[in-house]
Formats: sequence, structure tokens, C-alpha cells
Amino acid sequence: MFQKLHIPVIVWMVTANFATLPGVAGGDDASSSPDVFFEDAVASTVKSRCVSCHNARKQEGGVDLSTPAGIVAGGDAGVIVDRERFGESVLLERVVSGEMPPEGEPPLSANQILRFRRWIESGAKFRKPPRQKEISQHDVIPILLLRCTACHGTRRREGGLDLRTRESILKGGKSGPAVVPGNPDESLLLQRIHKEEMPPRRKLVSVSVKPMTASELKTVEVWIQNELPIAKHALADEANQRVKVTDEERGFWSFQPPRAVEVPSHAVTSSNPIDAFVASKLAERGLELVPKPERRTLMRRVGFALHGLPPSPESVDAFVADSSADSFKRLVDQLLGSPRYGERWARHWLDAAGYADSEGAQNEDRIRPHIWRYRDYVIRAFNVDKPYDQFLMEQIAGDELADYSDEDAITPEVYDNLVATGFLRTTPDRTFANITNFVPDRLEVIADEIQVFSSAVLGLTLQCARCHDHKFDPLSQRDYYSLTAIFKDAYDEHDWLKSQGPRTLPHVTTAERTAWKNEVQTIDKKIAALQKQVDTESDADKQAAFKKQIAELNSQKPPEPRIRALWSRGEPSPAYLLRRGNYLTPGELVAPNIPDALAPAGFTYEPLPPKSKQSGTGRRSALARWLTRPDHPLTARVIVNRIWKHHFGRGIVATVDNFGTTGERPSHPELLDWLATEFVRNGWSIKWLHRQILSSATWQQSSLIHHTDDSEDSAVSDDDRTSLLYGSPMRRMEAEVVRDSLLSLSGQLDLTPFGKPDSVTERPDGLVTSVRSKAGWRRSIYVLQRRTKIPTLLENFDSPQMGPNCLQRSESIVAPQALHLLNNGMVHELAGHFAARVVGRVGSDSQKQITEIWRLALSRHPTSEELREGSDSLTRLANHWRQVEGETDASAARKSLASFCHAIMNSAAFLYID
Amino acid sequence: MNTRQAKPQLLSRRDLFQQISAGVGSAALLSLFNEDVFGAGDTLPSVPNHKPRARSVIHLFMNGGPSQMDLLDPKPELDRHHGEDYFERIAGEVEFPDAAGSLMRSPFKFAQHGECGMWVSELMPHLATQVDKIAQIRSLQTTNLTHEPALYKIHSGSEFTGRPSLGAWVSYGLGTENRNLPAYVVLDDPLGLPVNGVDNWKAGYLPPVHQGTRFRATGSPVLNLKPEFSEPDAVRKVERELIAKLDRIHRRDRPARPRLDARIASYELAARMQLAASDALDLNQETAETQRRYGIDQPVTESYGRRCLIARRLVERGVRFVQLFINSQIWDNHSNIGTALKDACDRTDKPTAALLDDLDQRGLLDETLVAWGGEMGRLPIAQLTGDKDPKKAGRDHNRNAINTWFAGGGIAGGFVHGATDDLGFSAVENKVSVPDWHATILHLLGLHHDELFIERNGLKERLTGVSPARVISEILA
Repeated sequence: MFQKLHIPVIVWMVTANFATLPGVAGGDDASSSPDVFFEDAVASTVKSRCVSCHNARKQEGGVDLSTPAGIVAGGDAGVIVDRERFGESVLLERVVSGEMPPEGEPPLSANQILRFRRWIESGAKFRKPPRQKEISQHDVIPILLLRCTACHGTRRREGGLDLRTRESILKGGKSGPAVVPGNPDESLLLQRIHKEEMPPRRKLVSVSVKPMTASELKTVEVWIQNELPIAKHALADEANQRVKVTDEERGFWSFQPPRAVEVPSHAVTSSNPIDAFVASKLAERGLELVPKPERRTLMRRVGFALHGLPPSPESVDAFVADSSADSFKRLVDQLLGSPRYGERWARHWLDAAGYADSEGAQNEDRIRPHIWRYRDYVIRAFNVDKPYDQFLMEQIAGDELADYSDEDAITPEVYDNLVATGFLRTTPDRTFANITNFVPDRLEVIADEIQVFSSAVLGLTLQCARCHDHKFDPLSQRDYYSLTAIFKDAYDEHDWLKSQGPRTLPHVTTAERTAWKNEVQTIDKKIAALQKQVDTESDADKQAAFKKQIAELNSQKPPEPRIRALWSRGEPSPAYLLRRGNYLTPGELVAPNIPDALAPAGFTYEPLPPKSKQSGTGRRSALARWLTRPDHPLTARVIVNRIWKHHFGRGIVATVDNFGTTGERPSHPELLDWLATEFVRNGWSIKWLHRQILSSATWQQSSLIHHTDDSEDSAVSDDDRTSLLYGSPMRRMEAEVVRDSLLSLSGQLDLTPFGKPDSVTERPDGLVTSVRSKAGWRRSIYVLQRRTKIPTLLENFDSPQMGPNCLQRSESIVAPQALHLLNNGMVHELAGHFAARVVGRVGSDSQKQITEIWRLALSRHPTSEELREGSDSLTRLANHWRQVEGETDASAARKSLASFCHAIMNSAAFLYID
Repeated sequence: MNTRQAKPQLLSRRDLFQQISAGVGSAALLSLFNEDVFGAGDTLPSVPNHKPRARSVIHLFMNGGPSQMDLLDPKPELDRHHGEDYFERIAGEVEFPDAAGSLMRSPFKFAQHGECGMWVSELMPHLATQVDKIAQIRSLQTTNLTHEPALYKIHSGSEFTGRPSLGAWVSYGLGTENRNLPAYVVLDDPLGLPVNGVDNWKAGYLPPVHQGTRFRATGSPVLNLKPEFSEPDAVRKVERELIAKLDRIHRRDRPARPRLDARIASYELAARMQLAASDALDLNQETAETQRRYGIDQPVTESYGRRCLIARRLVERGVRFVQLFINSQIWDNHSNIGTALKDACDRTDKPTAALLDDLDQRGLLDETLVAWGGEMGRLPIAQLTGDKDPKKAGRDHNRNAINTWFAGGGIAGGFVHGATDDLGFSAVENKVSVPDWHATILHLLGLHHDELFIERNGLKERLTGVSPARVISEILA
């Protein structure tokens, strides 16, 4: 037995073990220098230099230095004076580094800094020590949640014991009360922990719990010794006089509602207000909007913008021939009315949502079987132009909006509401296995979801406030944990649904469920009939044959249709702020709330009564209701800006995911506000926004700006040009557009929409491709998005890694792109199909072929120079095949045209959009 | 202040082109583009923060968690307490509690080697001849005892997926010295990927150009490097010329579009890379004697030996960061440690030692930092198989003590840093965190970990994150 070893090494080792756990002191010896007291060494410096910002009312960083108690209590980031590891004392660190007092204040003298060091190094003593903070239920409950309630809490009550509240602890379980107030030794709870019976060591991994640390145990002990004192205030905030956000901070442009702005009365030929805003700004630089390009160029541009596919030559011709005044408007309407539009634009939202078809985070990168329904939901939402406010409501609180209590009466609307919550289930997640399902693993998932939510919907970097108050924006750590509390009825680190199985609901539409049941029943009937034959058959061979048929039928049974969703689980744990973001150092209790800086005057966050019979808390409904207020400072601006960015390559706010103080200021603030307010006034309609943008002379400018030495244009830098919206930017096809366009050109694009994703295969050398269906390959959005197996073509063209989401793709120009398009077998094969298609359309005349290739790939006719060069190359290719390789005329023509098509697929003219 | 202000790549690329596209001849322009399209990225002719001690890094990654007390950190106390119960003391640190056995001594013998007298187990006879070149760290600790998060941690500084890897940061910070090869090359095992697969060398939120490029030891070294279809050279030539002509026409009609120049350059580089990569991987240029030293003539060491030799050839050609992987997790010895650990050493020991020796003889070791190690260590207690047969015992994961070593550029050889407790469970002296380990590598390359960052979401993102990191100055020469 271990206890027999009474040698020093063992003691050392135990210490070593604890020392590796975060939050437990390592035990640096305080030096043996003579006592230095606060009152003598630093009190006057603190009073004159620190207290003006760190007092009971202002509490910068949650720190109050005006009293010894305040100094000992520390701030939002945790303790600031560490008596055991003085080197890690935040107070000392800030003073020594010169970070405090902040910039603009005179620095402390070397002597003053030295006194801080001496005081802290000698143990940070006070002549009048502050009263120890009394341990209350708020110190103890977080420990029990972490170590005990997995088995003694919401879902399980081992021994009839519930350790979630003071009352239930006193009530105890089958063996009697868990504690005896005032008597730790006789408290069953402590006895079991002391004996190391609890938590049971061999069960730790199966419930994803770790044993209590010595200091936690001490805290529980003191609480029991003191007869379970209750904190005076339910929320620490109630006692706190701290001013959270100053008026100045609240006045920051993006925290104020969009203003009603007047359209500048700038004389432009267009009646579109966008042009008035842009042209008046250009005029300040002596510039004007650049005229439109040719109609064919415009058509190609709008085709790629809305569908991500090359327009058919017929549609281009029709548009060019249509001289009516509203021809462009009708073209846009027609494009917006096509299902191809939703497939293109859903991709942008899925980037923001961090969509993937697999769990990631673990080597096996397990498939997420049902999440594709969310992808389909987003595509449908764009196609039917679901108002953006409703789109958000459903994605954030769909479960609370829908009554899904009757599994057999699920309408398409209810189904949509549930599927929409997949928005909050997208991030990498390894919590499907016990060993990777500990509280810190779960907190990572929550943090990622909060990051997705705040970057995609709010355009804020709220994740910075996870470990400390945001350094630049008025977003406190309290705001962060108050927001996570809103999601706690669905994302509770102490009551966790493992990813995969438990995260799904059976509530597909009644129609789909019935169809599935019927299918299964039909198969079951066949099986039953075969089973009878098995039972009556005496011939062993025949019996085996029947059994094989049964097995075959069983494998044909379709799996149960389910939804990967997020829903309220009813009883969220209390939410505590985590100091330094560390789950081992919980701070004060926080209530569900929205970030204070964004709250309109007089606003109080209150959970809404849920509409459905499910036990929802209504917390997320209230969040969604607030987000979709017409006067919300961020919601409309953020989405309008992102859609603008997709159309112009740059947002009016260039940092699309950061509208905070470190983000860029809007290049056209009035335009942004006009768009945001009009967007809301027009029913949050994204199609309205497209129409407004695309019909503007601003969007329709040519991308060609000819510089001459004496032209005034040369004074405009490239960067200015983008921010002033002077001329249209040249765009490179995005990854999906490259792949879909290659397939479309070669007639190999299978337009079957929706459903389970197409699988991918990986060659031994690592090249990943999607698997072909009968009719060809489907659009990229329907290809399996397995995090570790992104099709190589897409990856080469900057398809993003979701970490956890992506609001701005990079646009690289690297050799692997060239290598892929030049050397890849599939691209070569597609070129062959493209050539065959051209022959099918125009026959064997090479001039006609070249022209048709230009029409199909570039939506225009070749110039005479291009035609000459093309013709020349085609002849040389054919000659080689015929004369050197000895091919027949027909074969030489086919092969040379394929090479020619391959060259076009590689050309800049194809991959770039003017 | 000396800050490396790293702007979004496109912007500064544009700025650059803005300045040069006016007057500079096209040859100079192209050479800049070439570096730009393959590796140097934003930080073209990069100025390090301080004088570098190493020019390149070869990271020999040992997936699975090599057992410290069986390889380089002998524990006589473990022999004395062999068979005693210890599980209850470390229950929270055990992945498989049901399989946990008692304390288990090492089945292997240790001896002192080299002038420095470093202890090395009998499993690494070749490394034993090189100990005067290496600085061993016994006190590295990580934050999670499961492979995937621990791998993400050691490769990217964070336990989660989506962050740039160490090699990507180095590429981002320093670029490449060979304009025909990527700055960051990964030599993975033809037998299969390591745990976390290609995530291990991703660029995360850095520009994708900094992602590790996989070079295969056999066949076509880079994806799509050679045509996957047969076609006469003359046909290919006409087609390439046609692309070039069309691109020039397209470019001519679109002034002030530097991206189009970069695109044309990327097509030219594609052609040159085919030659450069094939040349770097052509081991026939090496003598039979060299191949033999790396163990390429023996089946057990052939594969790893090949990759070690290629690694030398790549750093010789100016590749900045070369990372070697082994399929699956050969160091994850949950059972049969007596044979499994020996197998892992047999595959890697000789090539690893040959690499150190060869680099040294060619004068490359001074400017090449070699880093060896895995993502975690192992426990002093036995892990038992279902039948509880002690002969089949292995060791479970351990995040509290990891053994790792450096050699070469700027490293003091023959040195041991840090110590574990008497049983080898946890580092107790001079603990080293993963960010410390990263900071040390960056430091030797002339980069300061706080000043290598990219702005994202209004944050300065760094490899070492927000926690303070410390260069392990004790091991520097």
C-alpha cells in the first residue's frame, strides 16, 4: 500500500501533482525580508495615482484600490496581488511594465515602483488587514457543479442526493442530510470526499469529472463550519455601485442606432440614392462615377454575383438585344427568382455560421449526420427572401417559437424553426467521447459559438471579453458571461448533451416521417414474409438464402430522419463569471443579459414567455427580439455591410467582423445608415437590398480605368479607389465558383438540389475530390464539408478553414492553383467534355468553335486579335496531332479542341470577372 | 518601437506593386512576384527582430507521446517502488482508470554517453553517439492529456483546431530563401497521416500560402505537380503559350492590376517548381554510403531514413521549416511497452542520429535547428490489458512531463534542462510550457514571439497567445 511509504519523496510528488493544476499556488517562498506594510510603502502612491480610476464607483477592470478589501478582492481578471507567487501579481506586473498608470499619465518614479515590489514581495501585508471575504453559497455551488452534480444534479440523483442548491444539500439523500451545519467532521459530504470515495475514482472518465482540489475542499469545509452562510445579494452586481459604461463609450458610432439621413442632393443621372452618396464623396476628390461597361460585361458580372455560374450565351444575347429601360431590372428579378441564387448566397451565410458536415477537433473527424438540413434551410431562406429579422429569430430561438410537442403534427414551419437552430451547432466539437467531454472541452464549444454569434450577427469581437474586460470596447467580462447565460438553457457545461446522437430531435415534418415509416414498414413486411419462409423451410441452403435476403433488406432500411438542433433543456445551471476565463476560478454570479453598452436607454432584458409547451426559458427569444428591434445599433448595419462587401469586395466598414473601436470607421457612414434603415423599412428584405445595390450606377461602373500620365486619376491610389468606390473592383472567382463554373462549362453540372451531401474520396496522395453522381457533379455547396477532407480544388482557391467561422476569405494567388488547373486529371477530363459540347453546339468549323468557346466561358465574342491567336494555336495543335502523332483528322480535331478548351479554363479572362 | 506590423496580405502586396509597377523592369518585378506567390508573402525580404542563430528548422515530430522514463529520463526510485499502488494519487490524470495498474519500472537499461555523460536508454544506441550535440528538456508540460488537443497545442499553441501551425508562423515571419520551393515543407509518412491529419500543418487565419506543402518521398512530390494525363510535350507547349498569350492580352487591357501580374508569375513558378521539387527529392544524387548511414538500405529504417535525408536536402536548398511525421502514433504505447517502444526506436533512432551527424559534417548544423519530441509524455504506473497480464503492460498518457530535445543552431549541446519528480510523473524543476517551447524556436530564428502577430478581429493573434512565454535561455549556446 502506498501509505506505508513515509519518505520525503512522496510528499514532494503530491505537491508536484497539485502544482500542475491551474489555479493552485506553486509555493514560491516569500522572502524573509522584514515586514513592509501597505500603509507605509504604497498607500499614498495608490491614493494619488490609482484611485481616480480604480475606486468603488468607477472600477476600471473591476478593480477597486480605494480600500484594502478592494485590493484583496482583485478584479474581473482575478486576484491582483498574489501573496504566494508574487511574481505573478497583476498589480506589480502592470506597474513594473509601465502599463499603469496608462498612457498620457506621468509614469511612476523608479522609487515608487521599487516600493510596490518590496511590499508585494514581502507578502503584501496591511497594518489593518481587511476582513476576509465571507465564503457564501456562491463560492461553493460552482465547485459542486463542477465536481458532483453530474451524478447528484439535474439528470441523475445518485443516492437520492441533489447538490445543486443550499436547500437540496441540507435536505440530503437516502443516507440523510449531506452536511451538518457548523460541523464539517460529521458532514457526510466531506467524509466521502476525504475518503476519496467521491467522486468515485474509477468512474471519473465515464462522467467526465475530476476530483476536488485541496483548496476547493477547504472552501467547502469553511462554508460548512460557518453554518452555510448565504450571500446578502443574489447577484454581486446588486451591491456594486460600479458605473459599467460611460456615456462617452456608449456614444461610439456603432453603439448608437442608425440615424435617419438625408440623401445628398448631388446631381447624378441616377435616381438611386446609393449613387448620390457615393458620387458626392467622389466629387470631393474631383472624381465622378466611372461609366458602365458593355452590356455583356455587366451581364457576366451580375450572373456571377447572383448565381456564381457563367450565364448562358442565349441569356446574354437576349439581354444585349433588350433595349427597354427596365431590362436590367428584369434581368436581376429573373436571376433572383432562380433557385441558383439561394445556392450561391447561402454559401456566404454558411461561412459566417462556420458550417461543416463533421465534428472536427478529433482525429476521426466524425461526420455530423443531420446538419445538412440546416444548409438546406439557409438555401431555402435566401430563395424565398425570408426577412432577415425572422431568419435571425429562427436561428437563435426557433425552438422557443415553435410548438413541437406533438411529434406527429410537425408542419414545415415548425420543422424550419427547429432546423434553423443548427446555426448554434456548427463549431468544432469533440465532446462526443467521455475523455474529451470535460468541462473545459465544453467551454471551448460554448466560446466558439459565442464567437460565431457575436462576429456574424453583432460584428463585435466579444470573445476578447472571455478572460478579461475587452481592452478596447466597453464590453466587460460580465457582459460576456451574461450573454452565455442567455444560451445556458441549451449550452450548459454542467448539463451537457454530447455532440452527435443526443444533439438531435426526431421532429422532421409529419410528411417526411410518414414517408419514412411507410418505407420501413414495407421493408418490414417483406422481412416478415421471408422470416415465415425461414421458419418453415427445412432445406438449409434455401434457408440461408432467405436469411441473406433478410439481411439485405435490413441494410436497405433508411435511417431515421432526425434534426441536429439546439433546444431549451429547461433547467439551466446558475451562470458564474470565470475569472481569467478559467473554469477553476469562478467569480460572481451573473444573470442572463445583453451587453450593457448596446442596451437602449430604459431597456430591461427579460426572458419572454415561450410560445410552445416545451419547457423553454424564453431567454433566447428575448435576445432575438432585442436583436431585431428596428433601432438596433448593429444588426441591420452588420448584415447590410456584409452584403455590400460581397458585391464590392470591401465593406463600407472594411472590418466586416469588427464594428468596435479597433475596427475601421465606415468609408460612407451616411450611406451605411441609409441602407440599414431602408433595409429595415423594406421588411428586412435581402432581395430588396440586392436590387438596390445592383441597380446603382455605382455597382455598374466599369472596372477599367485607363491611366494616362496627365489624367487626374493617377492621383488615386489603389486603396483609395476601393474605399471611394471609384470604378468597379476586378474579382477572382471564389473557390465554389471556380469548380461550379468548370462543371457548368463542360455540361457536367448536376443541378439536383438539397439533401444529404455528396461524399468525397481521398486518393493515396491526398488529393480530395467529390464523388460523381449519375448526372454529373453537384454544386459545391452540396459537397460534403468534412473539415479534414475539403476537396483540393476548393482548398487551393481559398475555401476557408472554419476556425470557428469565416467572415472574410483570403484571395491568394499561388502556384498550386496553376498546378491544379494545368495538371489535374479531372480538370483535363472536363476540358474534353467542354470541347464536345462546343462541337455539339456549332459543329466543326474552327472559327465558330472559338467564338462559341468565348461566348460560353467569357460571355462575349473574341476580339480579332484573340481570334487570330486562337486560330493559330488551334491549327498548330491539330497539325501536331495529325502530322507528328499520326492521328486521324477527326481525332486530331477533337484532341486539339480539348487542349484549347483546357487553355481557356486556365486563362485569367475566365477566372477574373470585370 | 520595433513592431512587425503585419497587415492583411493583399493590401501591402498592392502597396508594393503600386510602388514598383511604374518603373522597374519586368525581370525584377517577376522575381519579387515569385517570392510573393510562394512563401515570402507579406514579409518579403524579412528583417528578423534580432540576429538569428538558425536559418532553418527540422522538426522531428513523434506522435503519440514517447515515454520519458524509458528513453532519456531514468528513474531509479521507480525501480524501488515498482509494484506499489499509486493510482489514487493521480486519478484525475489518467485516461483509462479501469486499466490503471501499479507503479512500473522501466524494462530498459540506461547508460551514460558522450563527454557530457547524458543518460540514454539502450533503445537509442545511435542517438547515444550524438548526445553532445543535444540539449534535452525533461520538464515540458502541456494542458490536455488527450492526443488531439495536445497535438493542436504543440503544433499551433491552442488546444483547438483552426489556428496557424508553428511552421506557418515561421513562413509568415521569415518567408523562404528559395523562390522555387515553399518555405514550409511537410514530409508525412507514405503509410498514413498522423493524428489530426492535415490540420497539423494548416495556416489557420494566416494567408494560405503559409500552409505546409506536403512533399511525398516517392512518386510525384506535390499534388498536381505533374500532368495526370499523357500528352505530347509539343501539345503542352502550344497550350502553355496560348495561356500566356491570352493572359498578356487580358493584362494589357487592364492597367494597374498587379494581381494579374502575380497570376502570370504563379503560372511561371508552377513550371519551375516541377524541376526544383523533383531535384530536391532525387536521392539518387546521394552516395550509397550516405544512404546507408541513414538506414535507407534496411527495410525498418528505409522510410524514415529517406525522409531525414530529404529534410537535409531541403534545408540545404533554403527551405525554412521542414517537418517530419510518422504514420499514426507509434509512440502511443498503451500496451506492450517492451516491444512497441523498441519498434518505434528501431524505426527512427538510426536515421535521426545520421541526420544530426550529416548536418554537422556538412557545416549545416550550426544554422539548422533540429527539434525532437511528441505532444505528451507517459505515466509511471502501468496500464494493463484486459487480462491484466503485466508482461503486456504499457503506459497511459501524461500531460505533466514531456521529454524533448533540440540540437543545432544556437543550442548548447550535452545539456539537460529541467527535472521530473523521483517517479517521473511530473516536471518539478524549471518547468517549460508549450508557449515557452515555441518562443524558444522563434527566438533562435531571430523572431520575438510577442512581435510576430497578425491582426484579426481587432486582436493581435500570436503563436504564443496571451499567456506570457519565456525563451528557455538556459539551453542556448
